[in-house]
Amino acid sequence: MAEHTVASFDEDLRQISRLISDMGDLAGSMVGGSTRALLETDNALAQRVVSDDAIMDARQRELDDRAITLIAKRQPMADDLRNVVGSIRMAGDLERIGDLAKNIAKRVGSVGVAAAPRDLTHSIDSMAQMVLIQVQGVIQEYMAGDATALAKLRNDDERIDVKYTSVFRELLTYMMEDPRNITACTHLLFCAKNLERIGDHVTNIAENAYYVLTGTQLPANRPKQDETAMSAPAA
Amino acid sequence: MKPMLSTDLNVADTTVEKAKIEIKDLNFYYGQSKALKGINLSLPERSVTAFIGPSGCGKSTLLRVLNRIYELYPKQTAEGQVLLDGKNILDRSQDLNLLRTKIGMVFQKPTPFPMSIYENIAFGVRLYEKISKAEMDNRVEQALKRAALWGEVKDKLNASGLSLSGGQQQRLCIARTVAVKPEVILLDEPASALDPLSTAKIEELIDELQADYTIVIVTHNMQQAARVSRQTAFMYLGELVEFDRTEKIFTSPREKRTQDYITGRFG
Amino acid sequence: MSTAASLHQSRKRKNAVMMTLCVVAAGIGLAWLALILGALLYKGLSGVNLAVFTEMTPPPGDAGGLLNAIYGSIVMTIIGIIVGTPIGVLAGTYMAEYGRFSKLTTVVRFINDILLSAPSIIIGLFVYELMVRPMGHFSAIAGAVALSILVIPVVVRTTEDMLNLVPNALREAGTAIGAPRWVVIRSVAYRAALSGIVTGILLAIARISGETAPLLFTALNNQFWSSNLNAPMASLPVTIFQFALSPYEEWQQLAWTGALIITLTVLGLSIIARSLTGRREDR
Repeated sequence: MAEHTVASFDEDLRQISRLISDMGDLAGSMVGGSTRALLETDNALAQRVVSDDAIMDARQRELDDRAITLIAKRQPMADDLRNVVGSIRMAGDLERIGDLAKNIAKRVGSVGVAAAPRDLTHSIDSMAQMVLIQVQGVIQEYMAGDATALAKLRNDDERIDVKYTSVFRELLTYMMEDPRNITACTHLLFCAKNLERIGDHVTNIAENAYYVLTGTQLPANRPKQDETAMSAPAA
Repeated sequence: MKPMLSTDLNVADTTVEKAKIEIKDLNFYYGQSKALKGINLSLPERSVTAFIGPSGCGKSTLLRVLNRIYELYPKQTAEGQVLLDGKNILDRSQDLNLLRTKIGMVFQKPTPFPMSIYENIAFGVRLYEKISKAEMDNRVEQALKRAALWGEVKDKLNASGLSLSGGQQQRLCIARTVAVKPEVILLDEPASALDPLSTAKIEELIDELQADYTIVIVTHNMQQAARVSRQTAFMYLGELVEFDRTEKIFTSPREKRTQDYITGRFG
Repeated sequence: MSTAASLHQSRKRKNAVMMTLCVVAAGIGLAWLALILGALLYKGLSGVNLAVFTEMTPPPGDAGGLLNAIYGSIVMTIIGIIVGTPIGVLAGTYMAEYGRFSKLTTVVRFINDILLSAPSIIIGLFVYELMVRPMGHFSAIAGAVALSILVIPVVVRTTEDMLNLVPNALREAGTAIGAPRWVVIRSVAYRAALSGIVTGILLAIARISGETAPLLFTALNNQFWSSNLNAPMASLPVTIFQFALSPYEEWQQLAWTGALIITLTVLGLSIIARSLTGRREDR
């Protein structure tokens, strides 16, 4: 892609791009860290994740400022315009991902040390892995300019929804088996929901990134497989 | 069920637009050098079309073909067809003076005639119409109102046209053009010699005029093209590179050359 | 450091030298003008009285005036202007408007420039051959024709120059509104160039007011009152020529006074012409 005649314009765009990349890395580390802290009951790690959220917020505010200034100064057009507006939206989603990871980390102490059975931690772990791959993948593919991969990634969210449904059912089962599990399982339920929400935000990021790269929107209908709200709890 | 956000930006406009001017295979020569290469373009009526492109791309040349004003100069020739309501105006038999009453033009530098404000406007009208003084007064008033100049000059209609400020002079030129009741108005960088406030007034004027006239504007100011036009044509080195709805051109153009130009990446 | 300073010094010195030379040159030029005007005023003013404007040129030794000479000059100048101006303006119009891009214009312009600086005595001789000899006598009309030939190149030049100064955009604006060529020229170009063209005419008048040589062979001179165009007519320049060379004091005085009148007239016309151009540039 050719450079702008005014070189400082390119520099401004690069800085925004760098912020998105940093926020993406941070989001990945926060999601990974919070789930590991949860599963290993690592309070120190959880604390780090919580404090990282402040950095994420600061980055988002900085990106907002830079983006608005760039629009005022440069009147960007076409792909530059989509780039800047898309970055504002993506930063918002990344910041929310950070918040959700923080919420997971905050629950680490409440879940308790030897609370959950092995199988459950496995399920949550595998769901967390899926989400982490999505989070890392989406920013990588955006930076690489791979629109097709982004479309596929967006559709892959379906698997996270399916996983969430099954984790939901598992947790209900455990809670019904042994009422002593209820506290821990409820916290884990929230954590699973947060992970599912992170997946949805990744979808938003993918859609925005696709629009930035191609100028067209992905088809609005994407498969939603989260059936927890629709089915009655098993008796 | 219709989705809320449509990818088709033309969704709002479902009527088929009637073309006021159709340009077919137009070539233009300055002596031996070919300045316009095979232009094919359809300009819809009662809307604003913008021509944009870097210096020397041929946008002003194309505009000046439309009222054949290039004929004032030797060695400038056009071949091809330019159909105004279906009739080819490049034809030898076309009466040039009558053509120019249908297609008016406003230039980059404001050019009021060395006459009073009243005379500036009456001059054009008198060329082809014989009307009474009262009717002429009315005509002048209407034209000045249309150009948003009436309030500022109604008490000094006998003052020289040259005594007005730059922005007012340009509006006077627009009033003069509108007074002869054309169907098409050509604007060749009308605001490039004016300050931002006058520019804004001219843009507002263009907005209002497009309800009744087909307007073509050449501008090197892309933001202006984006603001005032409904469709935009991007030209480069004498060729028409892309022609589409303005929103499309400025948010996601099809051609890389268009994108490079409007984002300021021109190599 | 010191080279920069010494360069600066030498430049300052050169500047001072050139400035002095320029001022001296200007002073010399102005000094001559002042001397001439001074001499004219000194010698001529004392002879200015009502008689100069009411009485005819006298025979040697008698008192009199310059009435017939003034009248003759005015008449022949006016006729010269009336004949020469339309030709000049129309030719200038052709060159600037219709024939702007044609080869003919280049040729005409060249010839016009030659005519502009042609010695006026040659023009006088030409009209002598053309009119005086076939007619058999000198006449005021021949004088007027000679003057008009002097007027034409001046008017052609200024008309063409002034019309060329009218911006093309103005012509295009007139054309774009549907005006045919001649209307654009008449109503737009002429109006825009008007003060310039008038200036040209005034300059032409100033030029021919003082021409002596062409009149010598055409209108000759006339000691008495004559309003007959077909006969010799008196004129100021020729009268001055005759009187100045004479040994008679009254005649010499009248010559000075006549010279003063011509000079002041030409000066006045030039000032008017300059003020017209000045006003145009103010806009």
